[in-house]
Amino acid sequence: MSDRSEPITSLYVHVPFCAHKCEYCAFYSEASNGEMINRYVHALIREMELVAHDLKPRTVFFGGGTPSILTLRQWEEILKTMERLNLLGAEEWTVECNPATVSADKARLLRSFGVNRISMGVQSLDENLLDRLGRIHSREMVFKSFDILRAAGFDNINLDFMFAIPGQTMDIWRNTLREAMAFGSEHLSCYEVIYEDDTPLYAQLKAGKFSVDEELACAMYDELLTTVEQGGYHQYEIANFAKNASAAINDFPDRACKHNVNYWRGGSFYALGPSAAGYVRGVRTKNWSNTQMYCEQLERGLRAIESKEELAPLARAGEIAAFGLRMNSGWPLAEFKHRTGFDLQDHWQPEIRQMLNLGYAQLSQENFHLTRQGLRYADWAAELFLKI
Amino acid sequence: MQASHIRNFSIIAHIDHGKTTLSDRLLHSTGTIATRDMEEQLLDSMDLERERGITIKAHPVTMLYKAKNGETYELNLIDTPGHVDFSYEVSRSLSACEGALLIIDAAQGVEAQTVANVHLAMKQNLLVIPVINKIDLPHADIAQAKMQLEDILAIPADLAILASAKQGIGIEDILEAIVERIPAPKPTGQPSLQALGFDSYFDTYKGVVTHVRVFNGELKAGMTVKLLHSGKSVEVKEVGSFNPKPYVRDKLEVGETGYMTANIKSPKDVKMGDTITDSRNPSAVLPGFKEIHPMVFSGIYPINTSDYEHLKANLGKLQLNDSAFVFQSESSVALGFGFRCGFLGLLHLEIVQERLRREYNMDIIATYPSVVYKIFMTDGTEKEVDNPAFMPEANYIERIEEPMVKAFVICPNEYIGDMMALISEKRGNVDHTETLDTRRVMLTSLIPLNEILIDFHDRIKSITRGFGSMDYEHADYREAQMVKLDMLVNGESVDAFSCIVHRDKAESRGRALAAKLKEVIPPQQYQVAIQGAIGGKFIARETVSALRKDVTAKCYGGDISRKRKLLEKQKEGKKRMKSFGSVNIPQEAFIEVLKTS
Repeated sequence: MSDRSEPITSLYVHVPFCAHKCEYCAFYSEASNGEMINRYVHALIREMELVAHDLKPRTVFFGGGTPSILTLRQWEEILKTMERLNLLGAEEWTVECNPATVSADKARLLRSFGVNRISMGVQSLDENLLDRLGRIHSREMVFKSFDILRAAGFDNINLDFMFAIPGQTMDIWRNTLREAMAFGSEHLSCYEVIYEDDTPLYAQLKAGKFSVDEELACAMYDELLTTVEQGGYHQYEIANFAKNASAAINDFPDRACKHNVNYWRGGSFYALGPSAAGYVRGVRTKNWSNTQMYCEQLERGLRAIESKEELAPLARAGEIAAFGLRMNSGWPLAEFKHRTGFDLQDHWQPEIRQMLNLGYAQLSQENFHLTRQGLRYADWAAELFLKI
Repeated sequence: MQASHIRNFSIIAHIDHGKTTLSDRLLHSTGTIATRDMEEQLLDSMDLERERGITIKAHPVTMLYKAKNGETYELNLIDTPGHVDFSYEVSRSLSACEGALLIIDAAQGVEAQTVANVHLAMKQNLLVIPVINKIDLPHADIAQAKMQLEDILAIPADLAILASAKQGIGIEDILEAIVERIPAPKPTGQPSLQALGFDSYFDTYKGVVTHVRVFNGELKAGMTVKLLHSGKSVEVKEVGSFNPKPYVRDKLEVGETGYMTANIKSPKDVKMGDTITDSRNPSAVLPGFKEIHPMVFSGIYPINTSDYEHLKANLGKLQLNDSAFVFQSESSVALGFGFRCGFLGLLHLEIVQERLRREYNMDIIATYPSVVYKIFMTDGTEKEVDNPAFMPEANYIERIEEPMVKAFVICPNEYIGDMMALISEKRGNVDHTETLDTRRVMLTSLIPLNEILIDFHDRIKSITRGFGSMDYEHADYREAQMVKLDMLVNGESVDAFSCIVHRDKAESRGRALAAKLKEVIPPQQYQVAIQGAIGGKFIARETVSALRKDVTAKCYGGDISRKRKLLEKQKEGKKRMKSFGSVNIPQEAFIEVLKTS
């Protein structure tokens, strides 16, 4: 269990603004409005001040929304605050960018304060599909932004891609994958489109505008696994692939996103910004989603927490077990015991046996993990391991 | 009333040949009820009966009729259930009578049910008065009907009365014939009261009300009577008759019909067909008593498992007025807790299920019906099995016998070929074929009861475009190559689908069930094998392919809580499913299969 006296080493910051909301997106974000963004920046600074005493970030992640939509001046304000609060110096510091909002001076500014990883939401390299998804950027912008980032000194870049997009054929996906390999980014995050409630894409699906082709989605996933492996990437989680300096991988590849690994392994993290969900010493919190409300709370000097949830120890351990199995390396048994206080083999014996019998998992002296086949059913595995 | 002035009779007829209309007409003509009180089909009191045109339960009705000879007669109309599922009830009711009106529709002629019912009346030595009804219809064919009377039923055609109950034609002639032709009841010469309890119903205030026919002596309130078969003595509280509403009388004398109450709390305490006599000086038992044995069994389960107690209470209520219906609790892995229910036959089963659904608003599912098999074991013992779950292992069985029925199928000439094929498909043998008229034939055949349980009647209707009819009477047991078919999901037997079938049909049934199960079992994260097996031998197999994946979506820190809740909900849902061979199968899937099989 994490030590009460040790500060939290992971920080997530949510930037809830987008130039335009994508068709598939269920994250909390709103169309940008200069005045509101300024107000948000000040509230965020206030929130940082409230938690800084308990933070010594090893990993930082600015996600969204579109963090890159913040102006140079706004970024400067945030970064200087972090400097003042002693929050700089993270081993891994990621900022999400939209290819349409990357500029050379912004990139240089981020780099100069210690941001060392960029995650770019490309989604597709097919113009029609980008349009279909409601993305504001073009193919060209992706190539250009990637060069700008490299020129600014970013040597750790992730590109996000989606498959099984309505209208996406296997040929289109293959072309996108081929072009994705050519970038030579250090990391790829590739996932199937999900239809979440309250998204335009979901509404279109329900209205029968298109149908989901499960077979094609499976074939695209297979294609993805083969192509990225040939391209030198190592899958370390269902939708995440990273490069490794050598052929041998210890737990996860060098370029894996350490911030995300902390999520899957049930580590603590502070989450700031509207709608952000944090997990600190066993307590999950969620901030108010409404930006105005978020700002008002902080302007009064209060944290903007909407809800808190704390599970009983075994249920918490079940949740940690469940989500950890999404990673190829699964659970080092000792680490699980250390994090949760429970022995995986004692408390999940029938579940482990069932997965082993089906050939969906492997168990060694040190480690329990899903096999390549088993990973396809990680949701089911998670369901089995949850304690209710 | 003096016995010489009493006439007891029933009306027997095929569905829709006008039995109820004639009954109503008789009540009206004798002034028993005024026209304004006449509801259509007065005697059928349950909605379901009216809708299906069949009488399940009816009271005996007492009418007073002033005949042409100037004398007043007491006519007791003892109604009978119109279907041989209730043949024991029919024969009990008939044995309370000295005569019967046989109604034949002039346009339709003799139908299968007519034949079955006439056989029962003949066995009871009743005087049969044939009535050719609906002679007012444009396509009435009186000559044809008369010919069929003689040829099929061996009743002299010149005895027939021509009538139209609807138009009031021939009613007087019928009433006169009842007085003239039906013998008056005669005392049996026993030392005391001798009465037949031929039916009963349950009254919330009075308890069990028994329908009685007095054969000897008299029945009065205050007497202590003995029920010979039930082995019980009770004090008579009240006696009376129906007109058609119950009314109290001082006593019932030789030949009279009515009811008695005696503080009997449960219909189970009175056996159908019991002999009622004076407890101090008992008379002999009346002939013809049989214990009622259900012929067809089926499991009835609440769809919503929490309705179990509710279902139990409602089955109990049904049983109050239907002593032939039996039930006891059983449980199934697939369907949870429910009841094994016994019925007299197919129609009885349908009626009970339908009443549970409609009158009691119960959501129920019934398992594949089974007949009662006699199993002769290698150790010389004999077992009766109506539930596949209790079928012994094949190597302990020497032979199995199954119940047969004698079925009467009447169909238009052009469908004989198809009908013979159907009977043979149902493992039946046609004993003989009779020409009814220029258009129709009657096939009399011996068929296993289990083969007519499901779709026999519907198939006849569809083969003959609605013109065929079928009825049956129970016949003896006959040896048959029956086997227990098990359905397995990933190697584990699913009890709700096990059944006892003929060896020749096991394979096709196994295949059909496997195919159906394949349709309803949702794909899992692993392959699911569905097998049909007899003993250890597999005879059918289907495979439900595994899902290829259940996740390829991303999941980061902000998603965990929401995702966990979603998965918890799924897990909770699966807990409510039944698990066979580690496959979670929603109960709806079982229900789907049972509905269509």
